[in-house]
Amino acid sequence: MIRRLVLIVLGLIWLAPTYLLLANAARGLDDYDPERIWDLPGSFELLANMADAWARVELGPSIGATFLYAVVAPAAAVVIGAMAGFGISVLRVKGGFGWFMLIFGGTIFPTQMLLIPLFFGFSSTQLYDTRLGLLVIYTAISVPFAAFVMRNFFTGVAHSLFEAARMDGANLWRVFWRIYLPLALPALGAVFILEFTFIWNDLLFGLTLSQSPEVRPIMTAVSSLNSAYAGTRMPVILAAGILVSLPTVALFLFTQRIFARGLALGQF
Amino acid sequence: MTGTRRWAGVSFLSPSLLLVAVVLYAPFLWTVYLSFTDYDGLRSPTFVGFDNYIRFLEDPALATSVRNTLMWAVGITVLPVAFGLLIAVLSYGLKGGTFYRLPFLLPYALSGAGLAVIWGFILQSGGAANDILGTDISLLQEAPWNTLSLIVAMTWQQAGVNALLFLVGLQSIPKEVAEAAKLDGAGSWGMFRKITWPLLAPLTTVVVGLSLVASLKTFDIVWISTQGGPGRSSETLAVTMYRDAFVAAEFGYGAAVAFSLTIVTGLVSFIYMRRQVRAVS
Repeated sequence: MIRRLVLIVLGLIWLAPTYLLLANAARGLDDYDPERIWDLPGSFELLANMADAWARVELGPSIGATFLYAVVAPAAAVVIGAMAGFGISVLRVKGGFGWFMLIFGGTIFPTQMLLIPLFFGFSSTQLYDTRLGLLVIYTAISVPFAAFVMRNFFTGVAHSLFEAARMDGANLWRVFWRIYLPLALPALGAVFILEFTFIWNDLLFGLTLSQSPEVRPIMTAVSSLNSAYAGTRMPVILAAGILVSLPTVALFLFTQRIFARGLALGQF
Repeated sequence: MTGTRRWAGVSFLSPSLLLVAVVLYAPFLWTVYLSFTDYDGLRSPTFVGFDNYIRFLEDPALATSVRNTLMWAVGITVLPVAFGLLIAVLSYGLKGGTFYRLPFLLPYALSGAGLAVIWGFILQSGGAANDILGTDISLLQEAPWNTLSLIVAMTWQQAGVNALLFLVGLQSIPKEVAEAAKLDGAGSWGMFRKITWPLLAPLTTVVVGLSLVASLKTFDIVWISTQGGPGRSSETLAVTMYRDAFVAAEFGYGAAVAFSLTIVTGLVSFIYMRRQVRAVS
């Protein structure tokens, strides 16, 4: 009984910020009063506030750009990473483990170590403040983890599959693209989802490598919004907070079961 | 056959290697080089030896930055881990456990930008935090309250996912062990201390280790909420690096801060992992 009680009390504390977010994002601007933030909203203007955030605060272009990065970069990264995993585990390249460590080692550097050279490199190659530039960096940063997962996945596939496919005369690329890649779809999906969330939440690369509204990712856009629109327009900012969280909430609900099951099967 | 296959294998690896080499390794090495130079971004870098590092050690802003980073490290390795463990242990095996855990998982689903927005709202002067505390402090304006309240915000977001990890660990504890202990008359605290805690130790090591490394690199929430201010009172090492390089345009100095951060993070993880591995074996 005490267990339930403690959980309920803690749970209510944990829910309070979420309640404040929802209640005050749902208010109309004239219903908002800093003194009465705990009251239930007297109006329901959530969608209007979101529309306001989209259009007037110019989050729209940022959201579009971030979607592009968060979908295209992980998609490219899982294919590129899967190619590496295929080369190492299936084709058994000489020195495969060394190559693998070299690729995976790319994840150990803190982002801070990359920013200065990337900033100047991007400036001198006209990649600064372009969507292509951010796609390149997001893809590269996603590759090591994808390669890590795919190498492990392909190691678990019986080698006789490869031999059978080769016997049928398929060339290597076909074997990879038509047999191994579809086989790995669930693993690719899991990696894709994790990388999507990572990119959707990235601040540092966006801050350093972009500035215009059509290019800069959503975290960067919101960081400038917080200071510029504080005060009376609070409901719009809060609605923006919900708006930019919709993809992560949806993914979370969608994957919660898979996530828990995946962890249960993992090394823990 | 083997010859062509070797080349084919290399060609499958090459896109990964190319991207990692150009976008990750080359900038890393270039940053290491820049940390020994004076570089304003316009003229070419001039070699200055260890000057940046010496200046860094004498910089008064460093003391604040290190203190804040330590606060983050301690706060994030203790609070979200402890709450996660508490939630997991309390709700494990409870009927409707999923329902009880839901409030803790909701924040985890929120995006980073959402987290910043909601806590900016709560912590603003005259906001909800002051309502509850019955105070009138500008929580984001005064050190050390700004750092402490942002640690609370992070705890709010992270506890749920830690609870999930611990729950997986709890599920792997054999039922017979727990039942045997119960037959021996162990109370719930005794059970936790003698059975649950030791058996969860390897998992706790991983969770604490991951939190530690992440906390040393804290940037996003600080930058969005306070930009390291007011003054430089809430800066972490990662924020100091960004400010020195991209606000003050002292790229050599910023590189030195970045490399120091890398070494500290690497060293701490190494020492932590070694100690833990030794403790387990």
